[in-house]
Amino acid sequence: MAVQVLDPDPEYVLNHCTKYLARDNTDPRHNFGQFGSDDTRASIAESWRFPLIATYSDGTSSKSNYAVNQVTFVYQNRGVVSPISVGVIGTFATLYEPIPLRPIQFLGENTGYFALTVIVPKAEVHFYKYLVNNQYIIDPINPQRVTLDNNKTWSRFFTQFCTQPLSFEDWEYAILQRLVAHILPFRTREGQNFIDRYYNILDKQDKAALFPSAYRLDESVGATNYIDCILAREENHHLIDYKICISEINQVLRQRNPFIDPQDISVEMYAQLYNEMAANTVPGWDYSKYGRPRYFWELLRRHTFTGAFSHPKYGGNIGAAGWAYLAERYFDTATKTTLFNWQRAIESPLGINKDYHG
Amino acid sequence: MQTRFDVIIIGSGAGGAPIAYTLVKAGKSVLILEKGPLFKPQYQNTNGLSDFKRDELISDGTEKRVQVPGVANYGEGFYSSHVEPDINDEPHVYRGADGQDRATIEGYTAQVVGGGTQLYGGVSLRFTPTDFQLQSFNAGRTDLKNDPDGDVQREARDWPISYDELEPYYTQAEELIGFNGTVDNQLKRFSKDNYQPPLEPNPISRYAKAGMEQLGRELNPIDPILPYRTPLAVITRDHPPSGRKVPTDPETLKTSYVNRYGCPLGAKSNTWVALLSPISDQPNFEIRANCIVTHLECDGARINRVMYRDPSGRQLSVEGNLVVVACSAIESIRLLKLSARFNSEFDQRINQNDLLGRYFLTHCFGGASALMPTRNDKSMALDADWATDCCATEDFLKNNGLWAGGAIYNNTSDQALPLSIGRNHGSQDLDTLWKGFIDDTRLAGQGLADFLDENIGRGLSVSFMANQVPQRNNRIELHPTISDKWNRPVAYIIKTWHRHDQYLMDTLAGMCGKILKYGGENNTGEFQFLFEGQGGIFNAENALARIANHILGGARFGTDPRDSVLDIHCRAWNFDNLYVTDGSFMPTSGGANPTLTIQANSFRVADELLKRL
Ligand SMILES: Cc1cc2nc3c(=O)[nH]c(=O)nc-3n(C[C@H](O)[C@H](O)[C@H](O)COP(=O)(O)OP(=O)(O)OC[C@H]3O[C@@H](n4cnc5c(N)ncnc54)[C@H](O)[C@@H]3O)c2cc1C
Repeated sequence: MAVQVLDPDPEYVLNHCTKYLARDNTDPRHNFGQFGSDDTRASIAESWRFPLIATYSDGTSSKSNYAVNQVTFVYQNRGVVSPISVGVIGTFATLYEPIPLRPIQFLGENTGYFALTVIVPKAEVHFYKYLVNNQYIIDPINPQRVTLDNNKTWSRFFTQFCTQPLSFEDWEYAILQRLVAHILPFRTREGQNFIDRYYNILDKQDKAALFPSAYRLDESVGATNYIDCILAREENHHLIDYKICISEINQVLRQRNPFIDPQDISVEMYAQLYNEMAANTVPGWDYSKYGRPRYFWELLRRHTFTGAFSHPKYGGNIGAAGWAYLAERYFDTATKTTLFNWQRAIESPLGINKDYHG
Repeated sequence: MQTRFDVIIIGSGAGGAPIAYTLVKAGKSVLILEKGPLFKPQYQNTNGLSDFKRDELISDGTEKRVQVPGVANYGEGFYSSHVEPDINDEPHVYRGADGQDRATIEGYTAQVVGGGTQLYGGVSLRFTPTDFQLQSFNAGRTDLKNDPDGDVQREARDWPISYDELEPYYTQAEELIGFNGTVDNQLKRFSKDNYQPPLEPNPISRYAKAGMEQLGRELNPIDPILPYRTPLAVITRDHPPSGRKVPTDPETLKTSYVNRYGCPLGAKSNTWVALLSPISDQPNFEIRANCIVTHLECDGARINRVMYRDPSGRQLSVEGNLVVVACSAIESIRLLKLSARFNSEFDQRINQNDLLGRYFLTHCFGGASALMPTRNDKSMALDADWATDCCATEDFLKNNGLWAGGAIYNNTSDQALPLSIGRNHGSQDLDTLWKGFIDDTRLAGQGLADFLDENIGRGLSVSFMANQVPQRNNRIELHPTISDKWNRPVAYIIKTWHRHDQYLMDTLAGMCGKILKYGGENNTGEFQFLFEGQGGIFNAENALARIANHILGGARFGTDPRDSVLDIHCRAWNFDNLYVTDGSFMPTSGGANPTLTIQANSFRVADELLKRL
């Protein structure tokens, strides 16, 4: 597979590295539970930003480039001696030919940062390694690492609008989806009505532009998918909360209803569980494993709301369905105009703004 | 790499950029050292994209946790913008009401080329003539409320310059930077109207306008003081001084991604697009982004070296005939205090009296909010539509026993977008985002639908921005134990609200409340008008942290070296070539948002510097 490689723009690279990577202090101030105690990534601010993922345009039309992202790999030499060569190899390109990272200079001097920008389609997940002085290493900055079937560990990244499973098993995802659906307004009658109609009223072209392939609009309008994505990256420190609590919920619901899979249990039982979590008193919950179900409930609600109404590139609000729901619900019948015209400000093809490119 | 310049400016925001503009135009060699990145608008990038996005998760991102050793809010979650510093790396620490220290994002504007003007709401009011002479105005008064010890009369200072002296520079700033608004009904003399025409106000603002009109008539029945369109730092027409162009339909600039968002189109008049980018092709100008200044060194009365870290953290230095510090008040004071630690000569000179860091100021602020009788599309707004000066007249102050007044304006873009409705539910400040939402058990399913029904397109708030009484003990220090990512002590914010401030906030919040009630109660609509509340910021749980993004004072200018840190030209008294031009020079905070005044003053100082070069 031929990958399009761009010259890394040194200004862009420095703009996105200095705040996070340049430092003297190595206290683990950025470990919110997601790293082991002696992990060097604990001293880097927002290490999840790496590799840098951004919208791409070749300058002609951002709309025609809407299907791809630019991904900028960064390697930081922390030693005194500069490496002779730094390359990257990964599933976004051929697996046998490393692509070299370029040294990034500031005022004619090397900075110790090496970078490379490639174009990668949106909604993809990839694995990669760096090759430093001909030695394979996993990315020392990026927190996302996965051990594949052959027991080899790779660094991972995913592009915007990703809908592939990242953090959860199918059964976990299914339970999460039920919880999320309970919180959002789409399970109300009007909400369900909207969901049923929305996907159907979009024409083919809109669907192609708005929906990542394989996504079916459900009552969580992608908020579950959003949670999956941010737990894999920005809020990886909360993955553990979800893992433990979904497992607890699974147990509790199985105890209460031995003959039905938790994901198929009635709406009323989820409502009951939801209220019990809010009260921090869930009969059957193992408090020695997780002391405050209420805390998980709080997290879940913040994440769900954010997922349903943030920009779809984060993986939720699929097809802008969350925004479209508001646009339909708040409508001035006299003038026949919406009272939440989100499309006006947002880039096309998602929105209709001609000047803003996303 | 060039290492000698006529002028080195530290910080590229409101206080720094006007100086660079004037001096570069006059042919002087200028270097700006800016800690933050250089994020350009779309039209300046060959790919047509900008790092600023219309994206609610970019302004207050995903959760991080406070991990600053030793603070009382250790472990609490926080959310910050992509151009704010990371609190764990570079915290501001304040002393809370319980005497415990907490890390906060308050007291930062933004760290990016353009500084706070990249994110600001752009409300760009001039101060009133009275704001410049609050000592004289209050001398001999016996009617001041809640000031038993006479603090106001003891601590108020006149500025060493008058409104009339600053007026030409207000005019210059308004021309070069680019604002829209209206002059009529403003209680300040304008020698020239440089405003571009405002856009159509958001329909919800009609309630604020009606309320302001009624309040204006109530306060001054004979000659009512009426509202005007708030001057905003957003161009609505092509702007020849900066070469910027607006979209074919300028109304499309109203997106509500304004306050707390950088503008991807460059229509917000931040100091990069307005002042620095127009000079960026000049051979005598250089800006080094991602470079943090760590300290200054001196040889006698001259700053001879400016020490900074390059984008990889390497220590470098430069020299300038003149050095201008404009890091935003808290960080400027910190930089000066850190420099004093390194060098005893510097210490003696900058601390020739004990005032550096003292009389730190923000604003008295607060307001009222309500749900209006009709729903409107709030996603189409800039920041504030209407403003009134009716609470800044001398009569108003005397009738109410107030030492100083303030501006009142309605916020239009707040609570406009869905995430902001959630994260600001029950909390308005940066340290407690999401808290109200998280605690509100009702918000699920139908409850969440009801919450959205209640709030989307119906919330309206009216704010005031007023002078805060200067207090000697409100101060910025270096924190004794907490350090930043360069192992340098961080800024320590210690401040309280004066009893007169509290009275003033109650009074002005009452006026904001009246505006909403007058505007909302008399109008019928689909819904019941619902008054949500009013109040001053001193009532907030974390009131001692709150700074409103207005970071002022701590190095006040004056005419007496015993009573000020800077002279009338903003030069540090015992230095020959050291100037401070961000908000820290202000002896009083002014009765309006401060940025235009910081910019105007910088244009004034720039003219002075030109005489020296
Ligand atoms: C969300 C928001 C809304 C606001 N709304 C308004 C409004 O509507 N109206 C209004 O008048 N004001 C508003 N403000 C305030 C306004 O931004 C500030 O008043 C103004 O920017 C202050 O100017 P300054 O020069 O003091 O600092 P800044 O403009 O912040 O500039 C300081 C610069 O110095 C840099 N710097 C700091 N330390 C160093 C260092 N050691 N080395 C190198 N560089 C350094 C910073 O990165 C920054 O770029 C708002 C601010 C925010 C954040």
